[in-house]
Amino acid sequence: MKSRSLTHRLIAGVLLAEFLCAALFSAVAITHEMHGRRRAFDVMLRGRADSLMGAVQDAEDPEDNVMVDPTELSLPSEDAYAVATPAGHVLGSSPKSSPELLAALESPHKEGYFNFAIGDKQYRAIRTPGMRVIDREEKTGALRIPVTVLYAAPTAHLWHEAVEAVSFYMATGALLLALTALALVWLLRRWLAPLHELAERASHVSVQAWEFVPPEAALHTRELEPMASSIQKLLAGLQQSFERQRQFTGDAAHELKTSIAVLKSSLQLLSLRQRTAEEYESGIEGVLVDTQRMEELTERMLALARLEEAPSKSQESVDLSSVVQAVAERLRPVAELRQVLLGTAVQDSSRVALSLDDAEILCSNLILNALQHSAGGSHVMASVENQTGIVALMVEDHGEGILAEALPHVFDRFYRADASRSRNSGGAGLGLAMCKAIAERCGGSIEIVSIPGTGTRVRVILPASTTNKDIFSDA
Amino acid sequence: MRVLIVEDEVRIAHNIATALREGSGFAVDCADNGADGATLSAQGHYDLMLLDLMLPGLDGMGIVRQVRARGDSTPILVLTARSEREKVVELLNAGADDYLTKPFDLGELLARVKALIRRGKGVAHPLITFGRLRVNTIEQTVRCADLLVDLSPTEYRIFEYLIFRPRAIVSKRELLEHLYDYRWEHHSNVIEAHVSNLRKKLRAMGEEATVETIRGRGYRLFAPESPQ
Repeated sequence: MKSRSLTHRLIAGVLLAEFLCAALFSAVAITHEMHGRRRAFDVMLRGRADSLMGAVQDAEDPEDNVMVDPTELSLPSEDAYAVATPAGHVLGSSPKSSPELLAALESPHKEGYFNFAIGDKQYRAIRTPGMRVIDREEKTGALRIPVTVLYAAPTAHLWHEAVEAVSFYMATGALLLALTALALVWLLRRWLAPLHELAERASHVSVQAWEFVPPEAALHTRELEPMASSIQKLLAGLQQSFERQRQFTGDAAHELKTSIAVLKSSLQLLSLRQRTAEEYESGIEGVLVDTQRMEELTERMLALARLEEAPSKSQESVDLSSVVQAVAERLRPVAELRQVLLGTAVQDSSRVALSLDDAEILCSNLILNALQHSAGGSHVMASVENQTGIVALMVEDHGEGILAEALPHVFDRFYRADASRSRNSGGAGLGLAMCKAIAERCGGSIEIVSIPGTGTRVRVILPASTTNKDIFSDA
Repeated sequence: MRVLIVEDEVRIAHNIATALREGSGFAVDCADNGADGATLSAQGHYDLMLLDLMLPGLDGMGIVRQVRARGDSTPILVLTARSEREKVVELLNAGADDYLTKPFDLGELLARVKALIRRGKGVAHPLITFGRLRVNTIEQTVRCADLLVDLSPTEYRIFEYLIFRPRAIVSKRELLEHLYDYRWEHHSNVIEAHVSNLRKKLRAMGEEATVETIRGRGYRLFAPESPQ
């Protein structure tokens, strides 16, 4: 579709409106002027007809005839006139009297003012009955002679005069139109500048350059401010999510490459030279463990990627207390193996808006972490507490703790506080990142307090769910 | 030769260490974090350091900077799973000698390690000649006038270490430090025996060049009529 300029359309619209106004004004002015002039013209016609009446005089003959002698009147030569008796006898007419004029004289309907044409010339005429009283001394009484006077004058000059009179206003109007057009172009350009600037700024945004700072002018324009700030917000959000995705891809690639490096070097080490059957066997076992770890890593990465997506709209809710107890039961063998005492303290109806799967991942990651970092004989406590509007999950161990410099990073993806240990224990450094994602997904938060040598306490605050749909039952 | 491996992925470190020990008879020390790696690197026993770039705590780049800031010119090979150009450039500019991206080829890694060690000793060619003696550092053999000198792995390593710096006096402690890993103290009394065997084997080949013992100072590879 052809693109259209908003500026041009606005200018064209306003100019068109102005032009129409000017045209209407001119038309009204001309009409008004014409009206006035026509009235004056009519008065003039009547005056001339009256003076023509005056020119009707005694013919000085015995038949009491009258005659018209207009020679004493100075009537314009282009005017046409005729004087007739009611019987239709033409007493006199202008030198230029035409058949149309005489026809109009005879027509009984045309009384008063009327327009007609002689040839291609427009005339306006008055037809007026009159009475000529001729006072004759030799006879008794005055002689009353009824006559019909028809007087016509061309109207062409009327139109010209009216246009001439209005033309000044028309010229002024045209000039004003031109001036306002110029002013309008300048003003519209100025006023629309924030829009142009915003469009310009927005056009520079690309996949490579996310930076978008809305122009000041756009932010101070009431109509543009919502658009500018929403573009800014949208881009910032997109960039953030893009960055997160990129970071995740980078981290994932790093982890996978490392895993592959382990596998590859293990296999190449085996093939460096001829080895005994036992060596091959243990080598294959090692490679199998490596493969298993790689598989787990991939699964956890995918789980984390799912968790870090937009929050789900599902209305699921789960009783966190039941989940904690179920998970603790399941992990009891691990605790026994490590000779750690695992205890739970829960309250009833601790509903949170989590899916059962997510709740289980959250609880098992936290409890397993605590178990793995606990020395034999120590306690691990998992508790759920109901407070107003929130449910607090707390997992506490008395293990070696986390060093202060590592503490801010424990929720980072792929971060391992103790590299060698957790690598060997199979962690990919995703457990706490997953817990954080789960907590934040339902509007909660997670915090960790740790004192090296004393222990670690993880506290997850989740908003209490109001829905009563029973997803999990410990029956 | 003694190599330091700083790598948090213990399996990788183990695989490389095994390959270096088995194939070339190198002594290898491993550290699984940057801080330990930096401490070990400061001891100055190493003929090469193999660092992972991403390490918990101090990273590979940090160790490279520390090592170079000390004026230590030990060759450094960096392993990285990241292959961003800027990072590699930064790494080489910080003083690393070479880098390999994971997943690497173990054979290539070994070849690079050997090449870097040679370079670190100022030798470009894998074949080193000293008079009639020719050492092939790839095959790990010593020939005297085209005849193979039958050396044990330890004797070869002592000889190789000495021939990289002919006519220079190398202390027994230095030999121990560079040929054995952190447990080298346990081997302190075997060096004399190995040197003595080496000397006998060279003499048996009719070779004039020999490993001299300079009392109280160490050993040196010496030829009476100054060859080369």
